[in-house]
Amino acid sequence: MTIDRLTLLVVITALALFFLVLEMVRRRALAERYSLLWLLVSGGVLVLALGRTVLDNIIFMQLGITYPPSALFSAGFVGLIVIMLYMTHVITLLSRQNRTAAQRIGLLEHQLEELKSSLDVTKNE
Amino acid sequence: MPQPYLLPEDKRLLVVIPALNEEESLTRVIGNVNAAVPQATVLVINDGSTDKTAAVAKAAGANVVTLPYNLGIGAAMQTGFIYAYENNFDFMVQVDGDGQHNPNEIKELIPFLVADQADVVIGSRYIEDRGYITPAPRRMGIIILAQFVSLLTRKKYTDPTSGFRASSRKVIALCSNIYPSDYPEPEALMLFHKANIRVKEIPVTMNPRYGGQSSITPLRSAYYMVKVMLAIAILTIRKRPEAFV
Repeated sequence: MTIDRLTLLVVITALALFFLVLEMVRRRALAERYSLLWLLVSGGVLVLALGRTVLDNIIFMQLGITYPPSALFSAGFVGLIVIMLYMTHVITLLSRQNRTAAQRIGLLEHQLEELKSSLDVTKNE
Repeated sequence: MPQPYLLPEDKRLLVVIPALNEEESLTRVIGNVNAAVPQATVLVINDGSTDKTAAVAKAAGANVVTLPYNLGIGAAMQTGFIYAYENNFDFMVQVDGDGQHNPNEIKELIPFLVADQADVVIGSRYIEDRGYITPAPRRMGIIILAQFVSLLTRKKYTDPTSGFRASSRKVIALCSNIYPSDYPEPEALMLFHKANIRVKEIPVTMNPRYGGQSSITPLRSAYYMVKVMLAIAILTIRKRPEAFV
């Protein structure tokens, strides 16, 4: 199998993404569970880059798409939409948890103040 | 001066006042509540105010829960429901911090809860014409919204955005658990519908606000209405709250 320039470029990009993700995990800039998603993405790009002829054939034969790049674009687009939906889901959960925590802080602070002032009263008696 | 309302002896009432920068009006609102229902406990939820709201409320003798930052009216109200639930209150009334609601009318709301004829009693500006003036575009918006909510809940509502509401222990339990945060007043009506909560609307008189700004400017009314209606329509597909089927 000969490697042309384009393939090389894509392979390098995929590997860069892969190692960037690993580095971010190492520096705790990315949680492990999200890193998995991005490692899969970089792996997917790598496979697509190396198996381009196979991919071209599958797309052409099975889906009847005559211009393979458009298939790639739509696959990437769908992938991004799924990731964004997932991110909005995560934000929803986070803001709910954040709300509950903030409410609890307010309630506890109030309780603490009441306790303190009742302690002061007993001290002064 | 109207007579103060006396609760049945074994019942405890919490009056929750959500407040965002209401230092101008709070003293008066809290004073009026204390005069109208002397037995009630008053709780101000200070929703991340940048003025002296908390100090003013404390000075007026209210309990104050200060949220660490602005969470919005829905989450602020839910904080009140949680407080009411955890401190074993039987009833909770929501009174706006801007002075629009008349604390003397709390006595109109509570008897339906005491008699167990309803779980939520809502004070409506529009059942009877009592001289409350609403700008025409907003009035139109509220009518459309009321029709829409009435259609979806198969129950007649005239004032779905009214925040002047009294809740029973059952509703306190529900709302401390689940309470809408985006457009809480109309959305809560959908929640009540799903949870088979008995809701009653009664006519009340509302005042023009004492100070501060309405959170809904006329300019935003139309946009607000579309968003609320979409949010409410989406809620019809939501699961029933499990404990209340």
